[in-house]
Amino acid sequence: MLVHLQGPWNPLLGRLTLQQIPYENPILLGTFIFAAILGVIVLGATTRYGKWGYVWREWLTTVDHKKIGVMYCLVGLVMLFRGFIDALMIRTQQAIAIGPNSPGALGAVHGYLTPFHVGQIYTAHGLIMVVFAATPLLVGIMNIIVPLQIGARDMAYPYLNALGLWLTTAGGALVMLSLFVGNFAHGGWYGFVPYFELPYSPGVGVDYWMWAFQLSVLGTTMGSINLIATIVKMRAPGMTWMRMPIFTWASLSTNLIALTSFPVLMVALGLLGMDRYLGTHFYTAGMGGNLMLYNDLFWIWGHPEVYFLILPAFGMMSEIIPTFSEKTLFGYATMVIASFAIGGVSWGVWLHHFFTMAAAPNVNSFYSITTMLVGIPTGVKVFNWIFTMYRGRVRYELPMLWALLALFLLLVGGMTGMMNAFASNDYMWHNGLFVVAHFHMMVLLIAASVFGAVEYWFPKVFGFKLEQKWGKWFFWFMVLGTGWVFVPMFFLGMAGMTRRLDYIPYTQWAPYLHITLVGMAFYVVAVLFFVAHLYVSLRDREKNRVGADAWGTSRNLEWMTHSPVPAYNFAFIPHVNARDEWAWRKENGIAELHAGDYEDIHMPKNTGIPLFLGLLSMGLAFALVWRIWWLALLCLVLMVALIIIRSFDRDTDTTIPAREVERVERAARDGSSGSVPPAGVLGDAVIATSTVRSGSGGIGGNTTSPRPSWAPRNR
Amino acid sequence: MTQHTQNPLEHPEVQLANGRAYLGSFILSALLMTAGLWLTITHAMSPFAAILATSLLAGVAVIIQGYLLLHMDLSHAQIWHTVAMVLFLPLFVVTIGLTAWMFHGLYERTMIMPPAMSSMSH
Repeated sequence: MLVHLQGPWNPLLGRLTLQQIPYENPILLGTFIFAAILGVIVLGATTRYGKWGYVWREWLTTVDHKKIGVMYCLVGLVMLFRGFIDALMIRTQQAIAIGPNSPGALGAVHGYLTPFHVGQIYTAHGLIMVVFAATPLLVGIMNIIVPLQIGARDMAYPYLNALGLWLTTAGGALVMLSLFVGNFAHGGWYGFVPYFELPYSPGVGVDYWMWAFQLSVLGTTMGSINLIATIVKMRAPGMTWMRMPIFTWASLSTNLIALTSFPVLMVALGLLGMDRYLGTHFYTAGMGGNLMLYNDLFWIWGHPEVYFLILPAFGMMSEIIPTFSEKTLFGYATMVIASFAIGGVSWGVWLHHFFTMAAAPNVNSFYSITTMLVGIPTGVKVFNWIFTMYRGRVRYELPMLWALLALFLLLVGGMTGMMNAFASNDYMWHNGLFVVAHFHMMVLLIAASVFGAVEYWFPKVFGFKLEQKWGKWFFWFMVLGTGWVFVPMFFLGMAGMTRRLDYIPYTQWAPYLHITLVGMAFYVVAVLFFVAHLYVSLRDREKNRVGADAWGTSRNLEWMTHSPVPAYNFAFIPHVNARDEWAWRKENGIAELHAGDYEDIHMPKNTGIPLFLGLLSMGLAFALVWRIWWLALLCLVLMVALIIIRSFDRDTDTTIPAREVERVERAARDGSSGSVPPAGVLGDAVIATSTVRSGSGGIGGNTTSPRPSWAPRNR
Repeated sequence: MTQHTQNPLEHPEVQLANGRAYLGSFILSALLMTAGLWLTITHAMSPFAAILATSLLAGVAVIIQGYLLLHMDLSHAQIWHTVAMVLFLPLFVVTIGLTAWMFHGLYERTMIMPPAMSSMSH
């Protein structure tokens, strides 16, 4: 052992002992029972209905970008729920533990959570929401939509795509596992040194945090390489740079940020790992270590990461707003420049996360100014969206409502961000609730865009629209919750309340904390409405089936193929003639899909290796957390062996015969979804239709136009 | 799908392999590094000028190795590698430069060193 470990260790199980299972904690025990019952139901139902073959063939081994995207979104949704429960617990604790006379329960002096437990919850909440909820949701949507928007049949590296998914999932699973085996870091999601060094955090919590983080970093970096290569190399003929859909531009910018910034985090965490495992002194207080280096390296990733999250959200808004304003996007070129300007500036602002570190005044001034500069391209975007809506035929359908909420939150978050950009202000409220409320405005903007994007692109992926009634209840309760939670939080920040408190000494803050709890109740109701929204949509899916162009006024290539999209995306790779190609085709009356003369389509073949690599990487991380060296070595050897075996595998591709393509296309065109046989080669049964069905076809919802989806639109 | 071949030798990147270029790159890099080493150990220049000169030599070595070893040029097969390299440079300057600038001011304020270690503060 290269470092001194506190507590027992043995060669077989490392630091793992029975005492590490927190069965005496009723909250965790309840969570475990809930998770176990859920697991038994899911696994039992899969077995009962004989779906294991289907799950294995169509999902676990898939390299189809759409299915990988859907799985990314599912992972994001599960983790979003976990992060939300964490938030609920933090807010409940803070609403109870106010003042010396506040009651205590479950071993806590005040409230119902011990300080150690609260610490783990806010650390997990932060990490999960940023890395395991927002990131997979955005990456998932980019995964599904970008190849469709550029007229590609898959991503540039389908195998790498699956690997990225399973590594990210392994990271998320590791965070979940820390609930039931051991504990999680309790010092904040972005870590502190030397507090996160082994002598000060001797438990396994920081190790869980570090390896889970590291796995997600690896997964996201791979995803970014893939998306960049796809956008650069796989655009359909005729799609010049300035004909690219704006969401694809945003994805390119965001993945350039990811590719350049995530490796920095990998290094930052790697150095911390070397300190904790090998006894080096990169971040120690003495021995030549440098405490500030960790902050610097972490936020060199951390701030670009903020724009990594926000740029796809902007891209989504830029797709939704023109569709539901029935107009082309205002200021396309400026939108592209603004996306890249935000990406560019993102590398020069990171120090504003630690203005109070005692950097020289000219350094702080520099970063203040660069931070304020972000407001210029962002302002350009806001005005472009407003001018897109100006004199448009705005339809307030669900995606548009979410996009408008995102726009509003951007204004609130952006203005308060400008206030934070002053270093002098930070000396007053660094690590305070004002900052917390500010960045929650921004991440809720991302959440709103993601919900909007899910509503918007759901029919493309699944072939039916989500219903509107429960969705609107969900939307409005999210609005209520956001207002009631975060407006008081801004006030609390002004009053000087700091973040991450397990006990609030000032009873004057009680009313505000109670109001935020009411807001949380609204959020809980919103979650219930969300479940109802999904349930009713699934139940009524036949009623809500749509054609290729689900909204009737959409503009880009993804709406040109069937809904849901066949495994090969496009029977013929489209030739792109204009920006907003689909809108252009509708205007020129050439929206009919080409039929006949189908050719064989060359596609990648399913493989289980990425899944196994994901499982082994989780095993490796788990072994490293508990310092079970033999298991770590075994997992590592197996991973290397699998990678070598895969590199000799020549049978990685498959061909969909032309007659199969024809069968799928004909079935889709006929719109006889009930009798369509499965595509058989790859992917699900294709129940695609480009035809308009009575009552729903191609338009549905509250669309003002009764015309079929491919009809030329008179502007 | 893009063009695909199972034979690695047919990939354009692999076809760029060139023994003479590798040897030339090795010899030139060795010469440049020797020159840098010589400048440093003989104290032939003032410290600041030596830093500038060795940085310049290193920059030339990077260009030579990029061109001769990694074949970074403007050909169809390689242009994106070259673009990625060029885009990386400002990023490198920004992140390392701003970090160095920040630490320079920070050390003066927070990490006042004993004279023997004062070299770390500059």
